[in-house]
Amino acid sequence: MKSKLLLALLTLALAGTAAAQVKVEDAIKFRQSGYGFMAWNMGRIKMNVEGGTYNKEEVIKAANAIQAIANSGMGALYVPGSDKGKGWDETRAKPAIFTDKEKVGKVAMAFNKEANEMAKVAATGDAAAVGAQLGKLGDTCKGCHDDFKAKK
Amino acid sequence: MISQRIRLWDLPTRLFHWLLVLAFVVAIVSGQVGGKLIDVHGKIGLAIVGLIAFRLVWGFAGSTYARFAQFFPTPARIKVYLKGEWRGLGHNPLGGLSVFSLIFLLTVQVASGLFANDDIAFVGPLYELVSKVLSDRLTGIHHLLSNVLIALVVLHVVAVAFHGHFKKDDLIKPMLTGWKEGVSGEPARGGGLKVSIVALIVAAAAVYGASGAWLPEPPPPPAAETPIW
Repeated sequence: MKSKLLLALLTLALAGTAAAQVKVEDAIKFRQSGYGFMAWNMGRIKMNVEGGTYNKEEVIKAANAIQAIANSGMGALYVPGSDKGKGWDETRAKPAIFTDKEKVGKVAMAFNKEANEMAKVAATGDAAAVGAQLGKLGDTCKGCHDDFKAKK
Repeated sequence: MISQRIRLWDLPTRLFHWLLVLAFVVAIVSGQVGGKLIDVHGKIGLAIVGLIAFRLVWGFAGSTYARFAQFFPTPARIKVYLKGEWRGLGHNPLGGLSVFSLIFLLTVQVASGLFANDDIAFVGPLYELVSKVLSDRLTGIHHLLSNVLIALVVLHVVAVAFHGHFKKDDLIKPMLTGWKEGVSGEPARGGGLKVSIVALIVAAAAVYGASGAWLPEPPPPPAAETPIW
């Protein structure tokens, strides 16, 4: 009986650790890293669409990276208390992210959808279609920036 | 009654004005919509650089009523105008204030845009020249100013409508035809073809400078060095 209780307590403690929230500073860092890394990959796709040569493999790598981050559940990084604070830099997340959950969900899902589509289009190697999809994807980035990213 | 009219706005001034109207609308729409249109936004910004550079030259060397000195809104002139005693032609002192404000703010607006970035996939043509922190700050100014400019343009249009409806002074027609009806006075002089060409050259140089085409190309990375991971 005693050992069972101990086991239960231990399980609970471990589960607690697993679900423990990321430290605010780290959460902000992970967020900023994720977005920055996606920006690099957006730029790579753009270079391939606009530059003279289109490298299908490069675009696929970039699109897959964006897709992976988009589907990584970054929403979990908006932990309580992380509306202010410094990661690599002062966070520019607007307080509305933490309150207007419905709208955030909407813009985030719109982004996920286009990021998934981007990966699909990239796989085809059709430069024109990739260019068009990049525009749509960029639109969904802006959709969130406009309302939820503080201007400097 | 003999109808009188004078030559008020020269052709380059009118062309400048209406091209700027067009460019302004395209810039606002493309900036707000974003997505693929952000590239249009960058191009139209360069066009506005050219237009402003042209107008600045024209403000010194253009014809009579297009010159800055002619309508510079000094406090004394504004006072006279507000008392209702102003009897000049061309931009009235308040109109002059509006012109100077618009040109100044548009200059700041295009200049900040050249260094801006959208944190997505777009950077202004001179982004390379500044740090990301500075670019972000300039981007902030760019966003803020776009609202100020929209407000100023609305005010400008409302003022023109006010003059047309209540003061029975049609300001739009002279800006289209160049002729001001029912007035007498000095017709616009100066700013001939030669000056236009100089102004165009200055405008082209400004666009070239703003486009960043002169920035050294980054050396092409040796292909073999791209790691497989």
